[in-house]
Amino acid sequence: MQINENAKPAMEVRGLSFAYGKNKVLKDVSLKIEEGKITTIMGANGCGKSTLFSLMTKNLYARKGKIFLRGKNIQNLNLKEFAKQVSIVQQYNTSSDDITVERLVAFGRTPHRKPMQGKSEEDERLVEWAMEVTGILEYRDREVSRLSGGQRQRVWIAMALAQNTKILFLDEPTTYLDIRYQIEILELVRKLNNEFGITIIMVLHDINQAIYFSHQVIGLKDGLVEFQGSPEEVIDRQSIHSLYGIELDVTQIDGKKFVLTV
Amino acid sequence: MNHKENTELSQNISEEFSQDMSRKKKKQARAALSFIVMAVLLVGLFFAAVNIGSLKVSFSELLRGLFVERIDNVATIWDLRFPRIIISMLAGAAIAVSGVLFQAVLKNPLADPGIIGISSGASFVAVLITAFAPTLFFFTPLFAFLGGVLAFFLVYSLSWKGGLSPLRIILVGVAVNAMFTGLSSALNSMSGGNMSGVASIVNGNITMKTWDDVQTLVPYVVVGLVLALVFCGTCNLLSLEDKTARSLGVNVNTMRIVISLIAVLLASISTAVAGAISFLGLIVPHIGRILVGSDHRALIPFSMLFGAFTFLLADTIGRTIAAPYEVPASIIMSVVGGPFFIILLRRSKKYAN
Repeated sequence: MQINENAKPAMEVRGLSFAYGKNKVLKDVSLKIEEGKITTIMGANGCGKSTLFSLMTKNLYARKGKIFLRGKNIQNLNLKEFAKQVSIVQQYNTSSDDITVERLVAFGRTPHRKPMQGKSEEDERLVEWAMEVTGILEYRDREVSRLSGGQRQRVWIAMALAQNTKILFLDEPTTYLDIRYQIEILELVRKLNNEFGITIIMVLHDINQAIYFSHQVIGLKDGLVEFQGSPEEVIDRQSIHSLYGIELDVTQIDGKKFVLTV
Repeated sequence: MNHKENTELSQNISEEFSQDMSRKKKKQARAALSFIVMAVLLVGLFFAAVNIGSLKVSFSELLRGLFVERIDNVATIWDLRFPRIIISMLAGAAIAVSGVLFQAVLKNPLADPGIIGISSGASFVAVLITAFAPTLFFFTPLFAFLGGVLAFFLVYSLSWKGGLSPLRIILVGVAVNAMFTGLSSALNSMSGGNMSGVASIVNGNITMKTWDDVQTLVPYVVVGLVLALVFCGTCNLLSLEDKTARSLGVNVNTMRIVISLIAVLLASISTAVAGAISFLGLIVPHIGRILVGSDHRALIPFSMLFGAFTFLLADTIGRTIAAPYEVPASIIMSVVGGPFFIILLRRSKKYAN
């Protein structure tokens, strides 16, 4: 997948503000998500990153400011049109007890289906592809409830992939997982970006994982964008301090920044 | 990883894979068998119900009487028993499907149109119309529907507290149910307790039903059941977290309202004709999930068959158990359903605390 240097941003946020009642969570946030890159939103608890995520995925609606998807205001897109272009893996997911992996992944085809129509060949092909890419083909007939946490997270990612979108959001995809599965999931995310050119936007808690796996990081603090850019440019002792309010050493290993989090 | 380990691993995987396959096949076979058995049972019960009572006809006599020539006994059975049998089956199917839909919308396997007060809301308004505006009798189903919507609105809005807790829905529903049941009984007492229409709605008495009642019931129930089938895919999507369903382009809130209205329609209409029936919408879907799984594309049609069967069985037992007196089917349902509900509550880890 070639990335055009002059391409428009995949998504753009302009002057976004949001408040829960009187509590201002986002104050005039502007940012750009580059096409074909991995962008991670980071920040301390309560910095507004979840709110920003919800706004960008049409789960909240801002009165002030605009969000553009390839130049179109997402307010003017209905959920179905949006779902054809953007897929989302939410942090917390549930399913019925006896649904099999394959059926759950096939839910990803929902936005592309017309009412009262069966599976098309393309539906089957994409479901098959999504299961293959995420390495869950061998569990296809197993109930999702019988899978381990790491396997289950792959199933949710596969469902999002079956939507066949060029933009994928992930909300803290590693939260409930052991370190081994955390790395596996992030390697999978990187593969999706590398091999299929999918633009990734995610929220991560772990600073080093954010630095290591992202092309671009966006630091949020008190509802404002503190920094935005490649980790090599923007991550240093000072920016970490301003974001999290703690002094941490930053070193370099193999040309990558590394924050000593203990 | 060396070669030997590798082949061992892939052997393990293919073994697990075939285990999954055979589990899936078994489940599919069980579901198919359940459909066939239930259909056969329903047909069998239908003919048994036709023949149970003081009048008896042989099977060949029945067929001849229905399709070839006039036989007095068959004509009497046609006028007296057929309407109540058909009403029992339609109401049973409607209530069972209503239960499935409420459970999907409220994400609560304990939701039942009887328990959460939908049926009693519908029956209260139906009673009101029967008592005070008998000329509007023809529109009773419509008013019952409005009553059901009112009850559902009350339950939904009163149990909303930054989210819907399954237990709170049941508790609020029980209160709403008690209130509407009380109002209906009060009205019944105030009117001397002998208005047959009022009494039949309150008690779920379907003894004196005629073909006219069948005609009232059929169009609404058919529309409701067809709509339920149309939305079975959406019911499956509602089993996901709301945010996740939205990310698939599903307008969750709109779908909730639409499916709720279908459920209220089915519950209210059957209440208007057959009276308030509790627990049917709980028992049938629960056993249905065990037999055919929780995929609504199978669960909804199966609940239709099974609901029709269960309510017809309750009605048939009701009119034979203490013949010549009759026990209303709704009372049979309550007696059997109460303990069943308690067992469900105790077995379910989610709602125990």
